[in-house]
Amino acid sequence: MIYVDAPLLTVKNLKTYFYLSKGVLKAVDGVSLTIKRNEVFCLVGETGCGKSVTALSIMRLIFHPGKIVDGNIIYEGIDLLKLPESEMRKIRGKEIAMIFQSPMKSLNPVFNIGYQISEAPIVHFNLPHEDAWKKAVELIGKVKMPDPEIRAKSYPHVLSGGMRQRSMIAMMISCEPKLLIADEPTTALDVTVQAQIMDLLLEIKKRSGMSIMLITHNFGLVAERGDDVAVMYSGKVVEEGSVKDVFDEPLHPYTRGLLGCIPVGFKRKTEIDYIPGTLPSPINPPVGCRFHPRCKYATEKCVKEEPQLIEIGKNHTVACHLYGE
Amino acid sequence: MESIKGSLLKKFETRSMLGLARFKEFLLLLLHYKASCIGLCIVMGIAFLAIFAPIIAPQHYAEIDVPNKLLPPSLAHPFGTDALGRDIFSRVVYGAQIALWVGLIVVLIEALIGTSLGIIAGYFNGKIDKIISALADLVWSFPTVVLALGVVMVIGPGITQVVIAIAITSWPSFTRIIRAKVQSMVNREFILAARSIGESDLNIMLRYLLPNIISTILVLATLTLPSAIISTTALSFLGFGAQPPTPDWGAMLSEGASLLIKAPWVATFPGIFIVITALGFNLLGDGLRDLLDPKLRW
Repeated sequence: MIYVDAPLLTVKNLKTYFYLSKGVLKAVDGVSLTIKRNEVFCLVGETGCGKSVTALSIMRLIFHPGKIVDGNIIYEGIDLLKLPESEMRKIRGKEIAMIFQSPMKSLNPVFNIGYQISEAPIVHFNLPHEDAWKKAVELIGKVKMPDPEIRAKSYPHVLSGGMRQRSMIAMMISCEPKLLIADEPTTALDVTVQAQIMDLLLEIKKRSGMSIMLITHNFGLVAERGDDVAVMYSGKVVEEGSVKDVFDEPLHPYTRGLLGCIPVGFKRKTEIDYIPGTLPSPINPPVGCRFHPRCKYATEKCVKEEPQLIEIGKNHTVACHLYGE
Repeated sequence: MESIKGSLLKKFETRSMLGLARFKEFLLLLLHYKASCIGLCIVMGIAFLAIFAPIIAPQHYAEIDVPNKLLPPSLAHPFGTDALGRDIFSRVVYGAQIALWVGLIVVLIEALIGTSLGIIAGYFNGKIDKIISALADLVWSFPTVVLALGVVMVIGPGITQVVIAIAITSWPSFTRIIRAKVQSMVNREFILAARSIGESDLNIMLRYLLPNIISTILVLATLTLPSAIISTTALSFLGFGAQPPTPDWGAMLSEGASLLIKAPWVATFPGIFIVITALGFNLLGDGLRDLLDPKLRW
């Protein structure tokens, strides 16, 4: 892999709204991200903060009543949001691929997995069916399933969760994408399998030089395997930086709160900290800083004025009124 | 038996892509499920009757022999004779041709229109869905008999006209069920996954949605087939469909209805054949559905 300085993917001021009868749900409201080459970029946040919608927006898989309202998604110098649908289809799977949260549901129940894995190479490279099948068997071996020849003929319902997720990974890396979006790839799996799947993803990343956008709410995973991290809250990025910086010195009160929620075994804390309150309604978010109703440092300014992302230290940005000036 | 089935299934699974050899094994496999085997035998039997009707039937279906009218079943006339002295057995045998033709063509047209519109409506939400659903509702509210009347007015009475009339008034039931089924599937993650590897809409509809609803289509088709045969009865009864002396089972049934006490065999035998045909197709459809269900494989 030749190192090119330009980032692989830049998301600028992305806004994805859902037009519901109750009002406009601003699932993603002005998110900016930068994903470098060959890195693990983590996107963390609570359930419902817009992580998955951000990922789906990058793939342009937002459907009615959702709509990408504004922003740029620059991939390798091309603005994905301006591409016609037919061109976008060529990007999906071949350049950017996505693994979904529940491997139970993301495989087609009526075809064996070999058939499904061979699908993408057929679509993108016009590979003859026999070659595609051979490639599928090879990929099944690559994702470390035993007996790839036999496994290729298995139907999804006979496979375990871990096996299915491996099949999904095989399916998604079949065209060697440069960016793999993994939307909570391990949430539905048990802990030992989680580690195996993450190791597998990282190994593939190392070998092929692709980048991984890891969406998760598992901070342990981020700390161990991530390079850069962005913390989202209510449709906005509140803090972004390298994993080391963010973990050593969390700036935003929300990030600190999240990190405080992790039980630390050896300290024998009697109670786990938590952030009071719930995620605000994305239809009617609080004015000013969206976190202020739950923030113990909230001041008047926080209620009135929306904080912008400012740079604190090298490549470490935060959107909070506590900093700056 | 179990092991033969097992080895057949295994053999069946080793084929990764479709082919002719696969079809042969599919048929063999079908014979190893009891229900579908019986169904297949019945359907084959009816088809056999239809194809070899001129050889099997002792008389021509229109041969009138008034002196021998309303004879009970005997060696010379195994199913008896009707009010004009025609041999009912011969008429039933020839009737198989019409029943199969009507049933299959109606189901084919219905399934084709109904499924394609259903998938499109279910896959694309919004305007397209609304238009197709409205169209389905509109057609659904239109009485088959009135439409058949219109068709007959334009091109004259006959079986084909009835087939057309039935097919174009009854596809909405297909569309509605398929649409609902597709809607429940379109938000499943594997469809999203298919999109995320860059599949086109058409490909998703044909290669992802269709195989998943094939069992529904089969069940619907097997349910529609007997009702299509019965529907022709009503229209034949009104004189739009099979014109005498065409040996339509439905028409024979209605002819015999008034003679049910005096000569029960006139209506009974065509009735029995309608039931057997319907049963045969239902069993076959059931077997096919089971066979196509991946949950039964490993």
